[in-house]
Amino acid sequence: MINVLQTIQDSDFCQWVRGSESLFAFAGILLVHTIGMGFVVGVNATINLRILGFAPAVRLSALEKFFPVLWLGFWLNAATGVILLAADAVNKLSNPDFYVKMVFIALAVVNVKMLRSTVFRDPLIDKVPPSGKAKVLAVTSLILWLGAITAGRLLAYVGSPTPVLK
Amino acid sequence: MNAAHIHLLLNHFPTIGFCIGIIVFIVAIARKSDDLLEAGLVIFFLTAALTIATYVSGNDAQAALTDTPGVSAALVKVHESAALVAFAFMQATGFFSWIGLWMLRRISRVASWNLAVITILAIVTFGLMARAANIGGEIRHAEIQDAQANSLDPDAPTLARSWGKYVEDHTWVWPTCETLHFVGLSMLFGIVLTLDLRMLGVGRNALSFEAMYQLLPLGMLGFTLNLITGIMFFVAMPKQYTGFLFFLKMMLVVFGAVNVLYFMVCKAPWTVNDGVDAPVFTKLVAASAIIIWIAVLFCGHMLPWLGNSF
Repeated sequence: MINVLQTIQDSDFCQWVRGSESLFAFAGILLVHTIGMGFVVGVNATINLRILGFAPAVRLSALEKFFPVLWLGFWLNAATGVILLAADAVNKLSNPDFYVKMVFIALAVVNVKMLRSTVFRDPLIDKVPPSGKAKVLAVTSLILWLGAITAGRLLAYVGSPTPVLK
Repeated sequence: MNAAHIHLLLNHFPTIGFCIGIIVFIVAIARKSDDLLEAGLVIFFLTAALTIATYVSGNDAQAALTDTPGVSAALVKVHESAALVAFAFMQATGFFSWIGLWMLRRISRVASWNLAVITILAIVTFGLMARAANIGGEIRHAEIQDAQANSLDPDAPTLARSWGKYVEDHTWVWPTCETLHFVGLSMLFGIVLTLDLRMLGVGRNALSFEAMYQLLPLGMLGFTLNLITGIMFFVAMPKQYTGFLFFLKMMLVVFGAVNVLYFMVCKAPWTVNDGVDAPVFTKLVAASAIIIWIAVLFCGHMLPWLGNSF
């Protein structure tokens, strides 16, 4: 398994990602990953906080229109995340913190789906205040994304760091 | 033109600009004029935003003056510490002024507790800023220097260096601030995206500007979190934040402040009811907000590659 990872990591593309001084290599891919984070977590947090009672004049049902923005951020990060993982496969996959981050993200995505069916598929949306279940899901969503951000940031500090040119 | 020029140019805003703000604010309260009150709060908020750029430009100005004959390094340090305290109070004044501006449109008046807080903060800030400016002036003007300027210990730890030492000795502080900086970034992006994309047409049928306006304080909270954590980075390791790219980031933050003022002060966005398409200029301002904040992120992210961070 390590050999497979090593082969991926040593491919020309992955070496370019790690080693090139081009801004489109590591610097640019990580930039897109950070912007994507702002999109996915930001739109999520806005919807969660609205469910929890902030900005009551904003119609919850209309916030569903922003889900494509959320998913745009998510898929940008899935794509850039795969590249960043491939470029540092051996280190990342032997780093427990990486799995912690993946679990947070997997649970957060399940949470988004549950929130969608609980809140946005409810025919009484905007007619009655969000249910207790919806509020619990909003809180867990905020906690899970906070966990994902924290675990992601700590990837730069725990385990072996990615060797990149600056 | 070098960094010292920029610092000398910008330093008029926190002093003279703020002074004008205080006069307008006092006259507004005396005459109970909401229009003047709005103007005073706008001046306070914009001055606070410009003070961010002013404060960080001092870093490069200091570097430009190193080894210049007649410049007392000890005096520069005293000025830096005085400026840091004044900066903190200026930002607090800016924050509460923004809350006041927000309320003025939300409930058509500013709560009296808020006016009291702004009054106290503004007076304290004015005193602290005048002191910082006075010490700053003495750096280059020997004729106004206090007699004891020569007896200052150039190796005395400044407020900033003490914080730098704390960050160095406690390895958890930096990653914690970075994580919070990302949390604040996400909150700010969430509000910028939802408000400004609505102005550009997303969810137009059921979202009015008046409703979206209620979301703004959440974005301000995200920004405030990032201002606090950001200044902690800057003060702890100023050598990472020298040069053009970081200064550009701070100027873009000032543009971001002007941008949000458009939505709080101008009338056009308020005509955008449910199902209404925003006026073209409002759309341009909304689109520029998204671009400005992505550019701010770009400048910060690229510091290790295009700037002087490591």
